[in-house]
Amino acid sequence: MSKLWAIAVITYKEGIRNRALYGISILAVLLLAANQLICSMILRDVGKVSVDLSLSAVAFAGLLVVLFVGINLMAKDLDRKTIYMVLSRPVSRAQYLVGKFIGLALIICVSMSLLGACAAASIFLTKLNYPNFFDRFAWSGIFTSMVFSTLMLLLLAALSFLFASFASNSFVTLVLTIATYLIGQVTGDVKALVEAPAVVGIQVSAITTALVKTAYYAFPNLALFDLKIQAAHGLPVTGSYILWTVCYWCFYLVMALTLATLIFRKREFP
Amino acid sequence: MIRFEHVSKEFRTGVGRKRVQALIDLNLEVPRGEVFGFLGPNGAGKSTAIKTLLHLIRPDCGAVTILDRPVSDPSVRFHVGYLPENPYFYDYLTAEELLWFGGKSAGMPAEAIRKRSAMLLERFNLGAAAKRRLSSYSKGMVQRAGLALALIHDPQVAILDEPMSGLDPLGRKMVADLILELKAEGKTVFFSTHILSDIERICDRAGIIVAGRLRIVDRLETLLAGAETLEEIFLREVTSAGGSSEQ
Repeated sequence: MSKLWAIAVITYKEGIRNRALYGISILAVLLLAANQLICSMILRDVGKVSVDLSLSAVAFAGLLVVLFVGINLMAKDLDRKTIYMVLSRPVSRAQYLVGKFIGLALIICVSMSLLGACAAASIFLTKLNYPNFFDRFAWSGIFTSMVFSTLMLLLLAALSFLFASFASNSFVTLVLTIATYLIGQVTGDVKALVEAPAVVGIQVSAITTALVKTAYYAFPNLALFDLKIQAAHGLPVTGSYILWTVCYWCFYLVMALTLATLIFRKREFP
Repeated sequence: MIRFEHVSKEFRTGVGRKRVQALIDLNLEVPRGEVFGFLGPNGAGKSTAIKTLLHLIRPDCGAVTILDRPVSDPSVRFHVGYLPENPYFYDYLTAEELLWFGGKSAGMPAEAIRKRSAMLLERFNLGAAAKRRLSSYSKGMVQRAGLALALIHDPQVAILDEPMSGLDPLGRKMVADLILELKAEGKTVFFSTHILSDIERICDRAGIIVAGRLRIVDRLETLLAGAETLEEIFLREVTSAGGSSEQ
């Protein structure tokens, strides 16, 4: 356990001191400031717009953390051979990978907490200035949405580890992670579309349907973790939805890390 | 202590997946307490042999053991310290944090890590820079930090890949003194180099590897007993292997 912790701690320190993180934080703060400006201009559905913009800013900044800090942490080890420093210690490949993931998970959680606090402050200010637009507002919805955004980012980070376990360089890992993110955001909607094409008056071939269904089951449905609309409109999220989505998350996370470990155990570092 | 038994390794490189024999039937044994110098031109297979010792590379055939245990067992590395060639460490860590990681990953208690870390940082003239980020270190300082990391857990076996490359004369003397100190403590040192004077200065035995094949292994006094210098022996072996220095 102390080995896992040692790897997690150096990963966390290396990541949290990365200057890219400061840039992402500044961008997020600017987006949240823009939220104030936009709300003062539209004066219509201010509550919904404010919540949606704030949560979107947090989700976007979190995505940048995974793509540009998280992937860099793992892939740099392979590109720059810093992995020798870790694997020459008495640690197994599985301990390396899981320790590294725990370190990255800590970075994501700390970043999302800070970004979430900024978003909450921005929403609070808007609510203070325009209380009439917040009649169906609930902080619990904001909190749930942020937690689910964090879960999605953790899953994406685990998938980036899976790609890094076999990719030849960090660019390939980045491209595969972005592709997975994009597919994961639309796969549920596209599947619904090809299963009932008559609803929108289109025809879909059997091959396309099969391809979409394969993608649906191969890639995680990341749209499940997007609860921004529910938070903005004050819509309830049922306990069973939360439970099943968390189970779905656990399944994909464990699968991604297990596969990554199995592949990584076979890898050589010449 | 360190044993290679019929170890071969082949790589496929480039677009045409051209085969390169990095190691060919390597047989070598380094007993406890010996300083062994692994000599060879660039691309001869020195680093490949060292990486098989760390299980970073798996041999296609043959067995590699340290302390009579297969190197695939991570617990072997409780007794092994490794300095890679041109070491790279995390930019944003300090030397102190690097050594904390080294000690923690080897299961050392916090107090022991603190004491040994302070001792090693002083030993390698890094005391004043202990809290500075490694990205601000010169090449020589990085090399010394790497040596401190390799030795933080007081290993029985030190495996050093080109430990003197890029060091100034003072740095090279410091590494040579360190290797002799380790020998005096009964530790085994396996180091690679292509600098002949290093071998003559500090080794008990030396081996010359060319194009993946170990050409000659003997005690230094035996190698130098004849009329030939180590340089002449080295050039003869490289030439008879039909070799240039780059494979």
